[in-house]
Amino acid sequence: MTPELREQVRIAAFAAPATLFMLVMFAVPLGDVFLQSISTKTGAGFSLAAYAKILNTPLFTRVAYTTIEICIGSTIYAFILAYPIAYFLAKQPPARRSFCMILILVPFWTSSLVKSFAFTVILGHAGVVNDLLGAFDVGPVKMLYNRIGVTVGMSHFLIPFMVFPILANLLGQPPELAKAAAMMGAGKLRTFLRVTFPLSLPGVVAGALLVFILSLGFYIVPALLGSRHDVMLSQLVDFYAREILDWPMASAIAVVLTGVAVIAAVLLSQVRGGASILSKEAR
Amino acid sequence: MTTKTSDNASEVMVELRDVSKHYGSVIAVRETSVNILKGEFLTLLGPSGSGKTTLLNVIAGMLSPTTGEVFIEGRNVTSVPAHKRGLGMVFQNYALMPHMTVYENIAFPLQIRKMRKKDIEQRVSEVLELVRLPNLADRKPRELSGGQQQRVSIARCIVYNPSLILMDEPLGALDKKLREQMQLEIKRIHVESGITVMYVTHDQEEALNMSDRVMLLNEGNVEQLGTPNELYVNPVSEFAADFIGQSTLLDAEIVEGGETSVVGLGSLGKCRVVIQDPRVGARGKLLLRPEALHIVPRGETPEGHNALHGRVVDSLVTGGTVKHFVTLENGDDVAVQELTNITMTSFSAAEMVQIIWPIEAGLFLDR
Amino acid sequence: MEQRASPWRIAVNASAVAILIFLILPSLIIIPISFGNANEIVFPPEGFSLILFRRFFNEPGWVESAWLSFRVALWATAIAVCLGVPAAYALARGRFPGKRVIALFLLSPIMIPHVVIALALFVYFFQIHLSDGMLRLICAHVVATLPFVIVTSHAGIRNIDPVLEQAATVMGAPRVLVLRRVTIPLLYPSIISGALFAFLISFDEIVISWFISKAGYTPLPVKMFSSIKWEVSPVLASISTMLTILSVVIAVIVVLILRKQSDREGAGRS
Repeated sequence: MTPELREQVRIAAFAAPATLFMLVMFAVPLGDVFLQSISTKTGAGFSLAAYAKILNTPLFTRVAYTTIEICIGSTIYAFILAYPIAYFLAKQPPARRSFCMILILVPFWTSSLVKSFAFTVILGHAGVVNDLLGAFDVGPVKMLYNRIGVTVGMSHFLIPFMVFPILANLLGQPPELAKAAAMMGAGKLRTFLRVTFPLSLPGVVAGALLVFILSLGFYIVPALLGSRHDVMLSQLVDFYAREILDWPMASAIAVVLTGVAVIAAVLLSQVRGGASILSKEAR
Repeated sequence: MTTKTSDNASEVMVELRDVSKHYGSVIAVRETSVNILKGEFLTLLGPSGSGKTTLLNVIAGMLSPTTGEVFIEGRNVTSVPAHKRGLGMVFQNYALMPHMTVYENIAFPLQIRKMRKKDIEQRVSEVLELVRLPNLADRKPRELSGGQQQRVSIARCIVYNPSLILMDEPLGALDKKLREQMQLEIKRIHVESGITVMYVTHDQEEALNMSDRVMLLNEGNVEQLGTPNELYVNPVSEFAADFIGQSTLLDAEIVEGGETSVVGLGSLGKCRVVIQDPRVGARGKLLLRPEALHIVPRGETPEGHNALHGRVVDSLVTGGTVKHFVTLENGDDVAVQELTNITMTSFSAAEMVQIIWPIEAGLFLDR
Repeated sequence: MEQRASPWRIAVNASAVAILIFLILPSLIIIPISFGNANEIVFPPEGFSLILFRRFFNEPGWVESAWLSFRVALWATAIAVCLGVPAAYALARGRFPGKRVIALFLLSPIMIPHVVIALALFVYFFQIHLSDGMLRLICAHVVATLPFVIVTSHAGIRNIDPVLEQAATVMGAPRVLVLRRVTIPLLYPSIISGALFAFLISFDEIVISWFISKAGYTPLPVKMFSSIKWEVSPVLASISTMLTILSVVIAVIVVLILRKQSDREGAGRS
């Protein structure tokens, strides 16, 4: 063995403890879930019964549909709300931008429980928003323990994750492009629609995929802010695992969730490349 | 510059035997064998990609050679890891530990060798005196100028008396004036300490100024190894002639052999050149150094000289010397360097002049 | 030149500011409520009192949960740092076959929904008969925080010029000494910010903890979750405030550490 190879083995060994730990505490348990999903309830043999049940259970179909609805909805709302922030931040001088970033990072670092709890106060029957509406004689609107509550809560959580990729893309766009458009006679709005926004699409897609992956696994927000009509797949996993004690079923749902997340993650890794290549070429 | 020409075995500091370095199909350094003598200042010179830094890193132990062996002071160190080779190295970006003071940086190698604190203190102050920075012991590297950082870097090297110091383009990050000062500093330290130095640079002037011997590298091959004078006066190839110093290279073909050979220069005519073992019909280049040439008015060519004809298009006076740029009949340009003379005639562009040189000043380089 | 008061500009700025307010509102709104006088959740709060904070300390279970979360977070962070920093070193400096695979593997928990990890550990702990409450939580939290420690440390190591390590090696330092005297001292800011990040993630971790916590070993987020879900206690307001302050303090420290590090590096470039 050459000295260089020996050296590389010694360096690789530094990663051994972490890899070992993760094999035992992460890879094996995940493999376990996969095995569970193709086992019988008693664990005696192998069967695809769980997956068959999934496809035939109206509960699963309904919840899956709800999940996708909520996730797509939240992704869209997160996009609509995040883009103005990203655009605004891109135009700021660096000092002010860092300050505003803190405003985004505060909710990012705040526990989801605290945020959900805050929303129960804000969106409740006698909450802040309804109080405000009451001052204009608008009757109390039910925004809590329903789809509105869940969507608001999830979008709020997801906005920072959407802001970062879009902001990165906007900062990477050479300023000459917008200036050239202006010189050619394009107004602000047209410049945005024909130049800035199309160029920002890789960042938007990256953000959307990231946000979608995150929203799939949401548990806390739908559990605290939604009703039984807003149950998402992650809650179904809990239901089957700890109340029905049907582990194969719970595992099968978990496998489906993971599968979708992995596919979206793979797509994401392709898009990221697109975004950086774009800014390099434009230079 | 003293020249160490004795190749006595006990005087050899570093020996490379058939050392090569391949990266897959890319050859960074071809099979090279060379001896570096004790106390010598040897420079590895070449353009980027010539393999000079690779060779340095093989000697340092950072890279292991694909083939061949490395000997340091007679000991085979090819499989000895870098930290056990007892060498010193100076880097282009100084590589001073930013979190340590100047004192701590220099003391670090002594601490590694478990020297006593009192001895360390003494040794560090000795070495700070040597590099002329006695009062900066408590500063952090970021508080020092580039030149000062480089001197601390050198001090850190010599403090533990390595047998060999490797320098990888150490002056590349400095401006011209500072670079020239530091060249003198490094030479002074070299002479005062007597340590063997292997120096890497792409700057041929720097190499010629500082070295006892220069090893010129081209795409992984050793093009020429010799004293600065040898490389300048007797380059072995077109690459060497072109890389070192200024030169004019004219396409040439040997027409007639003999004690003095006749060489054809295409449309420019013929001239006489002294060639060892001339082969009639051989093609190559004729090398003319600017200071060997002289401009005279049109007329008879003096005895023992060759001549070419052209017009002076520009003359640059740089203090004691003046450089004339002459365009020949076939469009080639030639630089002629002469000493500034108060009675010198100035040449107008309309005039046809002669460039003459003594026959023995021309050098024929084979292709 | 740009016109300051263009309608486009105004529209963008106004909507951005409005959305920023929306973003920060939930974190902020609880704070005044927690200092309210009433023993219930009321906005705007009436009067000023620390009664809700006192209730946190007096009502049974809250302080124990917080203390458990603190201990678990401390252990999980310590283990994650001891495992993660060396792993980050291997990934940053190594060029061995399989490096990409190992990197992907060690960072994969980020991409897997927490509920899947929660189920996996729930089933796994049962099968290997791991029933110790604290051990279950610590192991689970290490899995959740390790990727973040690796990412922060990796970025920090990438920032250290490898020439420094090479110089130390040529000077005679074996690898252990190079790490101890050169690499790690330069890595302190990244290690500390990674550790703080990990601590916060562990302290706030809910989904996995919800699945695997055992009776008597209830971390704070689990107790909070039960409370919000089934009987909303106003104490939640004061707890939320304290947690928010913890988040902000840690975030500020991390930003300061990273700013100080980049200042130091900036000055070092001559």
